Amino acid sequence: MKAFALNIVVALVWASTIGPFTPGNVLAGFLIGYFVLWLLRKQLKTRYTSRAFQMLKLILLFLYELWLSAFRVAIDVLSPRMTFRPGIVGLPLASDDDVQITVLANLITLTPGTLSMDVSTDKSVLYVHAMRADDPEGLKQSIKSGFEAQIKEALD
Amino acid sequence: MPDLFAQLGPIGASFLAFATTVGLGMLIISFFLTVFRLVRGPSLADRVLSLDFLFTLGMTFIAIFIVATGRTVYLDIAIALGLVGFLATVAYARFVYRRWRKKESESD
Amino acid sequence: MIDLIAGIFVLSGATFCLIAAIGMVRFPDLYVRMHAATKAGTLGVGLALMAVVVFGAVSGDLGTVLRALAALLFVLLTAPIGAHLLARAAYATGVEMWHKSEVDDLRGKYDFSRDVLIGDGGATDEASEDRS
Repeated sequence: MKAFALNIVVALVWASTIGPFTPGNVLAGFLIGYFVLWLLRKQLKTRYTSRAFQMLKLILLFLYELWLSAFRVAIDVLSPRMTFRPGIVGLPLASDDDVQITVLANLITLTPGTLSMDVSTDKSVLYVHAMRADDPEGLKQSIKSGFEAQIKEALD
Repeated sequence: MPDLFAQLGPIGASFLAFATTVGLGMLIISFFLTVFRLVRGPSLADRVLSLDFLFTLGMTFIAIFIVATGRTVYLDIAIALGLVGFLATVAYARFVYRRWRKKESESD
Repeated sequence: MIDLIAGIFVLSGATFCLIAAIGMVRFPDLYVRMHAATKAGTLGVGLALMAVVVFGAVSGDLGTVLRALAALLFVLLTAPIGAHLLARAAYATGVEMWHKSEVDDLRGKYDFSRDVLIGDGGATDEASEDRS
């Protein structure tokens, strides 16, 4: 968090000293500050740069999945016969951290074929409504190896 | 209709005018389809979902309208619309869930 | 060129909204309809707002760009939350699932005497051992 604040300060200082205070200059300052922090990551003992990179990867993955899921739904809507078999599946959760569960639940809602419904009181199972529930085990595996691993990397 | 948008459009390009006209037309069809679901139901939750989706359609409509006419002040209305739609859904969901939980725990 | 990009954003956004609306009418039960409304609908409004972002960038209006991005972020954050709450409320009020639905892991999992939602039903053995 401190490293992030430092990065912002570097960006603002860069933009105000280098010339006109424009969004482009702030962005350039931010990138330069990020690069310097990356160079000094051992000395400053910060995991900020790698975590920020993981976070960016998570956001990009999320946008890509949203795009994909809208296409899948579009195919289902426009195909003349409804071939999907929906159902509610309980996904076991690896983490009981509230932030991670929240992020996971929100990501699941906007990804292909799944919609999160409820979390059990002991935070062990996330119930999702799946568009295609004919293979619950495969669904559990794909969530576990895809999103859950990425979220753990970015937020743990 | 197309020349109206070409006249209003600040960029004035023909493709953009075409796109906004067709886009607004598609949204009008979407409005009617969603209203059909709103009237049809069958459950209260279906109607709330339709209302929520109508708010989304309203935001889309305003966004395309801004691109067509260049009146960016309408963007604030789109943001407020999103806020109101979200709050309405949350309020309904909490209301129903609490009432049901109370009823169920009394009957147990 | 910029007109072309904005126009493509507008057209694709409107198309996804139309697809979502068709799904609202065609799909068999509330939960499946919710898939259409949240996914295709969110992408539709997101693309339309991206068109506004492009439009603001072209006309050099930073305020418009920032407000459109804020609206976009807001939609992306609230859409899944609203869908989640509504799906739970619908399940609670007993909205029926489609007769061709395959599994329902949530059935009988609400325990009101203790006011909890039981979780171990869908968990693998390994996961429940970790917890105990």
